Amino acid sequence: MSVILTIAKRDLKAYFVSPKGGAILFFFLIFMGSFFQNFVASYVEYQQRAASMGGQAPTLEQLIRAFFYNFNFIMILVIPAVTMALFSEDKRNGSLRLLQTAPVSAAQIVLGKFMAAVSIMTIVLVASSVYPLYLVKYGNPDTAIIGTSLLGIFLLMTSQLAFGLWVSSLTSNQFLAFLFTMFGLFLLLVLNWLAPSLTGGGIAEKIIKYIASTDHLDVFLKGMISVSNLTYFLCFTGLFLFLTNVSLDSERWR
Amino acid sequence: MIEVKGLSKRYGQLQALNDVSFTVEKGQIVGFLGANGAGKTTTMDILCGCSGADGGSAKIAGFDITEQPIEAKKRLGYLPDVPPLHTEMTVEDFVTYAAKLHKVPLNALSARVNDTLQRLSLMEVRSRLVGNLSKGYRQRVALAQAIVHDPEVLVLDEPTEGLDPGQIVQIRELIRSLAGKHTILLSSHILSEVQNTCDRIIIINKGRIVAQGTYTELTRNLAAESTFRLRVARDAGNALVKIKNLPGVVHAKLEESQLGDIQAIEFGMESSAKENTPEEVTKAVIEGGFGFRELSRKNKTLEDVFFQATR
Repeated sequence: MSVILTIAKRDLKAYFVSPKGGAILFFFLIFMGSFFQNFVASYVEYQQRAASMGGQAPTLEQLIRAFFYNFNFIMILVIPAVTMALFSEDKRNGSLRLLQTAPVSAAQIVLGKFMAAVSIMTIVLVASSVYPLYLVKYGNPDTAIIGTSLLGIFLLMTSQLAFGLWVSSLTSNQFLAFLFTMFGLFLLLVLNWLAPSLTGGGIAEKIIKYIASTDHLDVFLKGMISVSNLTYFLCFTGLFLFLTNVSLDSERWR
Repeated sequence: MIEVKGLSKRYGQLQALNDVSFTVEKGQIVGFLGANGAGKTTTMDILCGCSGADGGSAKIAGFDITEQPIEAKKRLGYLPDVPPLHTEMTVEDFVTYAAKLHKVPLNALSARVNDTLQRLSLMEVRSRLVGNLSKGYRQRVALAQAIVHDPEVLVLDEPTEGLDPGQIVQIRELIRSLAGKHTILLSSHILSEVQNTCDRIIIINKGRIVAQGTYTELTRNLAAESTFRLRVARDAGNALVKIKNLPGVVHAKLEESQLGDIQAIEFGMESSAKENTPEEVTKAVIEGGFGFRELSRKNKTLEDVFFQATR
């Protein structure tokens, strides 16, 4: 365990000695801030319009959901940047040898790097939860929805990081790792909408829709926690951590 | 301490290693000598568990590197050909990190790190970033990473690569001082280095071990003939013809470098030949009026052994 922490600490520090960690936080918060500002402005505008002209007034819960949908979208750009270097960089400059010749198992290396990635994204998540907390301070939204949304986003994030970690373990080229992770995550997002045209209905469509992350996140954003969706995210994360382990082990045979 | 048996490895069409076997006894320094691409790094990578072999086995302190990797790696320090450095860390942080990875107990950690930094004269750069150091310093930081946990077995892939002559002497002394307590396998393509530091020498060529033994053994075994150097005052061409025809002389040729008008001839003699061949040669030179200047026996260098073995 202590070795996992040693590796995780070093990799987390590595984000912040280069401009990368700062850049990730900066861009994430800038984007989320501007989205939030936009949403609040339109929320207020629609509220006023509904009051003067009648019709359905928007709810704060809708605002929160819109906010987290966008969070999900920006993660597709940020997660690849977080994971791309984890193994690729070590492979390229030879420092992977340091881990390979230390009395450390492949699983410990994978978990250490995964923990570092999860830590930095958790910092990002905690920092950007100021926006929903603003709503709590100045309005009265359903706090349970904020809670489940944060949990859903966290689970989605860990699964995406596991996927990115696996891609990074396959190549020594950071840019390729970034691209493939981004394509993969984008595919997982849109698979839900592509499914009908890909399969023409039936069980195949259901399977493809199940693989896509969108529906599973939706449930959390609606304020529910279900075992089946929890299982989806945990299995997804577990599967890709396992694949990373296999890929690292097979490094010896390539 | 190190036991390698029948290692073989293919990279596509290329047979990188072919039935490589050797052992290194406890406390020895063994030199692993070969041209670039001979299979040194591949052997070391397999030995240290970074790469898998197609056949054969490698053991470190009795633990098989594929079956009990954790136990084997606990007793191993490895300096790969490309220094495994994190350039964004300071020297001290990096060495501490390596020590933690190798499970140095926390209460001994700072003492071990300090001791290692002192041994490699890295104290004055301890708080500088690894990425900002010169190549020689980086090489020493990489060496620090290999010895910080005081391993029983040290595998060093070209440890003096990129160092200046002063640093080379320093590292050589350090390696010598590590002998006895540690078992060391070091690779090099610099013959004199291996000759100076190692108890035993293993020569590898095109994935096969072509010779192994102590320096004296190698030079004795591979040199079945002794070579002499003769200098005459004039007319070396005719002297050469005369010497060639003498019994016991295996080969003779004019030496390329010529000092003034004194010309040199190099000739080889079978060790089994009659002891008086040098006298015969001297006699022939004097009788021919070539002006005898010098006759000396040439010592076999490791270069000769190396070229003979890898021919």
